[in-house]
Amino acid sequence: MNEFLQKLAETLEVPNLKADDKLKSFPQWDSLAVLSIIAMVDANYSVNLQAADLGSIDSPEELWTLVQSKKSA
Amino acid sequence: MNFRFRDKRVTGVLTVLPRNERLFLEEMKNFNFPEERSLKLKEVMGYDKRRVVTDGVCVSDLAVFGIQKLFEKGLLKPEEIDALLVVSQSPDHFIPPTSSIIQGRLKLKQDMLCADFSQACAGFVLGLLQAFMYLEQESIKKVVLVNGEVLSRKTSPRDRNIYPLVGDAVAITVIERDPEPTDIHASFRMDGSRHAALIIPAGGMRLPCSAETAQMQDAGDNNFRAKDHLYMDGAAIFNFVQTEVPPLIENLLATANRTKESVDYFLCHQPNRFMLQKLADKMKIPHEKMPNNVVGKYGNSSGATIPVALVLNLAEKAMAGTLQLCLAGFGAGLAWGAMLLPIRKLAFCEMVEYP
Repeated sequence: MNEFLQKLAETLEVPNLKADDKLKSFPQWDSLAVLSIIAMVDANYSVNLQAADLGSIDSPEELWTLVQSKKSA
Repeated sequence: MNFRFRDKRVTGVLTVLPRNERLFLEEMKNFNFPEERSLKLKEVMGYDKRRVVTDGVCVSDLAVFGIQKLFEKGLLKPEEIDALLVVSQSPDHFIPPTSSIIQGRLKLKQDMLCADFSQACAGFVLGLLQAFMYLEQESIKKVVLVNGEVLSRKTSPRDRNIYPLVGDAVAITVIERDPEPTDIHASFRMDGSRHAALIIPAGGMRLPCSAETAQMQDAGDNNFRAKDHLYMDGAAIFNFVQTEVPPLIENLLATANRTKESVDYFLCHQPNRFMLQKLADKMKIPHEKMPNNVVGKYGNSSGATIPVALVLNLAEKAMAGTLQLCLAGFGAGLAWGAMLLPIRKLAFCEMVEYP
């Protein structure tokens, strides 16, 4: 989870992230951020997220749960 | 579906770009969008400059201009053209085919074959496949393939998703039989169930253009477009490319019994720099072997981007010696195709500007 938080922070270009941050309240959250997260998750965890999957995600913790569930699926 | 051809070759490529240039950062001032985000898009996606036609210019105008240049320079003779193929999704008219209009304006011989194909970003690979199949006929010795779009005329100036990245261009490719046969392998795939991801909803018979289809609608995120405009589900297309294109190329290489290392350059369709870098990373191909600079210099001209990338990056090498190319096109349909194409001493590989 810590490693994921760090990678997610790098992707969004923010200094750090907490597990319960509200991702969509960041000014960096836009369509490019969505693509960057999809690419980061694909490259690091071999999980193929859809943009729609990110629609229902609020926090890094929820995103990490989604990535893990897709990885084990 | 896999294809294999033996005695065919590309002998020349000419690209025609409109002289009219637009600058991304200037255009983004028209959007309600913070400047630092525009700069970020420029940096990541590679958006910078693009070429678009001025009012009323059509694919046939660019194509006739380019082919006439080839006639003037003695690089092509009118009477040699046995088939003229046009691949476009922005034709001059529904009826007649754009190929017929070009044939008439160039006063080409009647004893020939003209045909139009409706195909988008995979259009260069599809056009080459068609040209090779036409050349199976003894009566057809030289094929001229025109890939061209003026899709800037079909984008909403208020849709940030697509307006700043679309460019117009025509590519003219000459294909002939090869006295020194080498194998050309290709592979093409389709998934029409995802056709709504890249579509112009109105203007065909399903939904003819009307006052209603011209009405701008709120598409969210401060973007507005009408049903007459080109729509792209950017995230879905990104996902499609990352998922489908690597196995397409890997299977093609395996079928041809070739390695990635034996390919000099991977010339892909040019939607944006980000997508191509991610594609190269995923396929473990060095970035310098997969050019991604077309969108920032000229914009995304759909089926014309692969020849535009060839002329922009490899003109000297393509005219001087031999290059092993792997082409890949992907887009509306959805359709995706790849081809292992050897290029040997092209007679011409250049760009001209349409005034």
